Amino acid sequence: MAHYDLIVIGMGLSGLMAAKTAAEAGQNVLIVGKGMGSLCLFSNSIDVLGQLPKTMRMRDGLSRWVKDYPEHPYSKVGPERIEKALSSFLSLFPPPYSFQAIGNENCLIPTGAGTRRPTYLIPMTMVGGASVDEGHTLIVGFKGFKDFYAHYVADQLKCRGITLSLPDVSNQEITATALTRLMGKKSFRENIGIEIKKQLHGETRVGFPALLGMNDPIQVKEDLEEIMGAEVFEIPILPPSIPGMRIFNRFKDWLIQKGVTFLLGYSVSKAILNGKRCEGIEVLRPPVTTSYSADRFILATGRFIGGGLKANDEKISEPIFNLPLSQPQSREGWFRKSFFNDLPHPIHQAGISTDPSLQPVDERGNLILENVWVAGSILAHHQCIDEKSREGIEIATGYMAAKFALER
Amino acid sequence: MKKETWPQNNFDVCIRCATCMAVCPVSRVTPKFPGPKQAGPGAERFRRPDEPSVDEWIDLCFGCHLCDMVCSSGVNISELNLIAKAKYLDEKGRPFRDWLLTHSYLYGRLGSFFSPLINRLLRNSQIKWLVETLFRIDRRRELPGYESSTFRQWFKEHHSKGNKKVVSTRNRVAYFYGCYTNTNEVDVGKATVEVLEANGFEVILPPQRCCGIPMLGNGDFKGARKMGLYNVPSFLNAIRSGSDIVFSSTSCGYMIKHEYSRLLSIPKAEEVSGHLHDLFEFLRNLKESNGFNTNFKELPRKVGYFAPCHLRALGIGLPALEILRLIPGLKIDNIEADCCGMGGTFGFKKEKYEISQEIGKDLAEAIDRLKPEIILSDCEGCRMQIRHLTGLKVLHPIQILRDALTR
Amino acid sequence: MKIKTEVLIIGGGATGVGILRDLALRGIPSVLIEKGDFASGASGRNHGLFHSGGRYAVSDPEAARECIAENRILRKIAPHCIEETDGLFVSLPEDGLDFRDKFLRACEEVEIKTTLLSRDEALESEPELNPNLLSAVKVPDGSIDPFTLVLENAKDAEGHEAKILLHTVMSSLILDGDKVKGARVKDLLQGEEYIIEASHIVNATGGWANQLLKLAGLRIGMALSKGSMLITNQRFNHSVINRCRPPSDGDIVVPNHTVSILGTTSIRLEGVENFEVTSQEVSLLIQETSKMIPAIQEARFIRAYAGIRPLFQSEEKGNDRAISRGFVLIDHGKRDGIKNLITITGGKLMTYRLMAEKTSDLVCEKMGRDVLCSTHLKPLPGASRPVGLKERLKQFSTDRGEILCDCELVPRKEVEEFLKTGKLKDFQDILHRTRLAKGTCQGGFCVYRLFGILHDLRMAEGDSNKILKGFLEERWKGIRPILWGVSLKEEELIESIYKGIFNL
Repeated sequence: MAHYDLIVIGMGLSGLMAAKTAAEAGQNVLIVGKGMGSLCLFSNSIDVLGQLPKTMRMRDGLSRWVKDYPEHPYSKVGPERIEKALSSFLSLFPPPYSFQAIGNENCLIPTGAGTRRPTYLIPMTMVGGASVDEGHTLIVGFKGFKDFYAHYVADQLKCRGITLSLPDVSNQEITATALTRLMGKKSFRENIGIEIKKQLHGETRVGFPALLGMNDPIQVKEDLEEIMGAEVFEIPILPPSIPGMRIFNRFKDWLIQKGVTFLLGYSVSKAILNGKRCEGIEVLRPPVTTSYSADRFILATGRFIGGGLKANDEKISEPIFNLPLSQPQSREGWFRKSFFNDLPHPIHQAGISTDPSLQPVDERGNLILENVWVAGSILAHHQCIDEKSREGIEIATGYMAAKFALER
Repeated sequence: MKKETWPQNNFDVCIRCATCMAVCPVSRVTPKFPGPKQAGPGAERFRRPDEPSVDEWIDLCFGCHLCDMVCSSGVNISELNLIAKAKYLDEKGRPFRDWLLTHSYLYGRLGSFFSPLINRLLRNSQIKWLVETLFRIDRRRELPGYESSTFRQWFKEHHSKGNKKVVSTRNRVAYFYGCYTNTNEVDVGKATVEVLEANGFEVILPPQRCCGIPMLGNGDFKGARKMGLYNVPSFLNAIRSGSDIVFSSTSCGYMIKHEYSRLLSIPKAEEVSGHLHDLFEFLRNLKESNGFNTNFKELPRKVGYFAPCHLRALGIGLPALEILRLIPGLKIDNIEADCCGMGGTFGFKKEKYEISQEIGKDLAEAIDRLKPEIILSDCEGCRMQIRHLTGLKVLHPIQILRDALTR
Repeated sequence: MKIKTEVLIIGGGATGVGILRDLALRGIPSVLIEKGDFASGASGRNHGLFHSGGRYAVSDPEAARECIAENRILRKIAPHCIEETDGLFVSLPEDGLDFRDKFLRACEEVEIKTTLLSRDEALESEPELNPNLLSAVKVPDGSIDPFTLVLENAKDAEGHEAKILLHTVMSSLILDGDKVKGARVKDLLQGEEYIIEASHIVNATGGWANQLLKLAGLRIGMALSKGSMLITNQRFNHSVINRCRPPSDGDIVVPNHTVSILGTTSIRLEGVENFEVTSQEVSLLIQETSKMIPAIQEARFIRAYAGIRPLFQSEEKGNDRAISRGFVLIDHGKRDGIKNLITITGGKLMTYRLMAEKTSDLVCEKMGRDVLCSTHLKPLPGASRPVGLKERLKQFSTDRGEILCDCELVPRKEVEEFLKTGKLKDFQDILHRTRLAKGTCQGGFCVYRLFGILHDLRMAEGDSNKILKGFLEERWKGIRPILWGVSLKEEELIESIYKGIFNL
């Protein structure tokens, strides 16, 4: 049986951060997961606490927040270490494709529904969208690409929109990855750049759906800017999220390079427990079951989409360690009667309760497993959709879970 | 094949998140293939077993399994596609070309025997034009040349020279070499045997036939099953007499280890799976139990390693990378690309060649960024494709390991 | 503005539209008003069973006879609205075989063709059936698409110069002694008010019958019975599966396009608005239907919905199922002294054409016109179009273009055609006429795309995001009762997109 210093279960942003943090400290790490977490679904930029009032500095907002919500995952990490975690994330993205916060506060970026969403760290390819002015922006869509509609976005933002026809794609659909790939080709960029330039009516900014290339988006951006003479930015759209995939790929390449064993494709079927210790995990690749042992484990399996939490028609459970969950009394209490409410649906707050060092505890606060830590959206007492805190929680708790684990 | 013996189709759990769409190499380069979300769980809601197949695009999926790896709902997308493909081709009929491509094991030895002539013919442009016209095998594709002496022949000679280092069965290992190693890339087999022997193992060759993956990939379940029904009892003999089995081709290995039991329901295949290992996985296990020969010479080379799709599907990590990193002087990098585009027999077919090449271009670009001297990959399909795309020297990682050990 | 016509029909369900078509084919000028879209009442909220009549053979032979007669007629005039799936009446161990024998005799009496299947034969044709079943009887059931049926009737009626006014509500009746002279109506979309003058008025409003009659100071005895249904994500059965025992809750599973519909319950309601599917009904339906199809126990559901059966009752009867499902034609001249007002109520989707025929006959009798019904002879307009799952998948293959709804394979072309006719003003109307939002994600992706297309075509009206939120809210009613397991994952995805990425 292969033995590791640390096994990270889950390949979303929190698992990847945990693996990175441990690998940097020289640990022998295995990360195992099925899927790429919500990175390639929702993560176009890094939300930390979008819900904060406008123009509040993030640092002040976080300090207030942890006082108001002592059970929140951010409170387990603390504002200072949240910042360290974010820096650690940022270090993976040196220029040119780096992330930045605008004025240390939340900024508003346009979305595929023509609304604006608050977010904190945005990649350089989205910076131009943070200051979309009426009358100075042109939105560009592509015929055949059905997950983005330039006129829809433009009408909502009260600016102009155009839809380009792609020469080889007449009467066909084009997928996000195919369009991203085309963007990566210089000749394609040149053609569309010239076409758009012809149709500019004095706009100084041009907004595209977020697929400006996978490997070198800055090159794509700069080439287009040079040809059109206007600033270029990307707009978050329906899944799959190409910006999220860029983040995933970067983590993957870095971790493999660093010697982390990267097992994408199979989920953990069982944890091997011995009293209050976890001895190892089993991974089923039918018909073979392989066991891996480690000194420490980090559970970062996400919520329902990723299978970290499962719900039958009565209650919610955590399938690997069978950890007790903080959850509403019955199914009736999971969701409110209307979809849109001022308050979130209670089920989104359900999850694993932990002590201040991110270790799982039962209702009385007793430690359940002494060598297991929990990170990411599977934690209880947050609701990242309304708070706009998903990536921040994932990065901060992933980082800290590894740090806490290493201290032991 | 009756539907009951196929694994449960679980398309019902698809939540349409489109994560699979983000990784599919085919839908990235051609709009003809609607993508895994639509081709698999999407179309499955419309398919009825008693109605004729209308999925004319279904054979654009060549089973790279990348979609399966990232589906967090657990949909067996490529399996759904394969079953639909099998039905479609059963109804539509398979061209002779597909038979040629999937039954190469039948004429492989002939190819070796007549290799000087055959190889010349295979490189002749008029012959290639003819082959394309008659069989729709793209003439731009380099057809693999045959070696005059097969791996089996080499092994027989090698064994008879008294190269048995260890007598006890405790250190005996069986080797599944695969068709391609036997007739087209004998040095891979040689290197495997030499490295295993250098680690104190006696190598035996259990009776074996083609693993059947070319047939399976073309939806010929019956043909693939026939191969498995021959191979499994032979492997069981070897296992029960104390030898585990290693494979050097990750495609063959994945087929035997996972598809024999899952898709083909071959009796006792699970028992074989428990004792079947990828060659480098085997060596890595040796390393962990301190039985691995690390007497390496210095090998100052810059190489790039490309992980084949089937290796990823095996879920064992990248053991070749881990092992080769131990060789002093060797600069080895993982090539950051996901699929070479060969897809087994896919890349030979005229109507699929360009798709195969487009997918491969992304890999070629990644290689170009790295600028290695040599490329390493555990799958013969990938090696063929990378040679074809880049003209670089492409080897199996075991060949480099052998070089570091013996020379 | 004033519209003058001979007959004013109120109610755009199957019955009302059926009457409009019938009268139109008889050459009688008519106008139909409907306060919402077509089939917004019971016609659009049933389980889509194309009856053989088997369900009534034992308890109500008259109704059964009607059903099988209409079954034969509708197959001829509306083949494109029907999937000929056949049906099975399945006897489980606890049902015994006595009822089955009674059932066979009763079907023979009313000339419903039956075939007795062995257990193995039944399992061969329907592998998901409970393997412990005792027997199965095959009957000529089917699955019908009510909305298409109503639309087709409407098309034919309009093709014969009838007029249809959707989203038009009646504000008051214009009474003149013992006659109704017409009605004041309001166009809910434009806000306009006007008068329709007619010499005869037909109340075909189903569950809303009394709300209309109130405007004339009248009332009929009516019970409202809610029936709830669940929709599964995949199709478990390819023929209708009925329980071979006296009608009860959860005794039917109807295959419909890509899904199966589980039905149904029977709960008395006081009013016709604001009803929802309760979690008890959800549990009951799953529990009962999974006795026939065990896989339903673990099935994934995509929607729950309910419809209201209007049941005419002349006296109080305990169990709603016992009240006759037969229809009632009320001549308010004879009953209440208002000479030219008729109410048609009760009945079921299956007998809509017969109900329309009888109503039209009565109208003609009152008019002194001697024209015969021809709705049973003339096929509906689209009758020659090929339908079925295979056709959809084939269309997807050969002529793809942009697919708007990935789950139900609805091409953008199809939707643009609707939009370009310019007649559709209301967003929900567009959804009703296609299979958009009827699949796995229930509109999670395709409705967003629909807005995109509306903007592309410069046809978007009002605030699209507000309408989108309205759609999501409406959708919520149908999915909240079934949110667990995989459906819960789907919900998390959709919510994260609309509240998260789009920040709606």
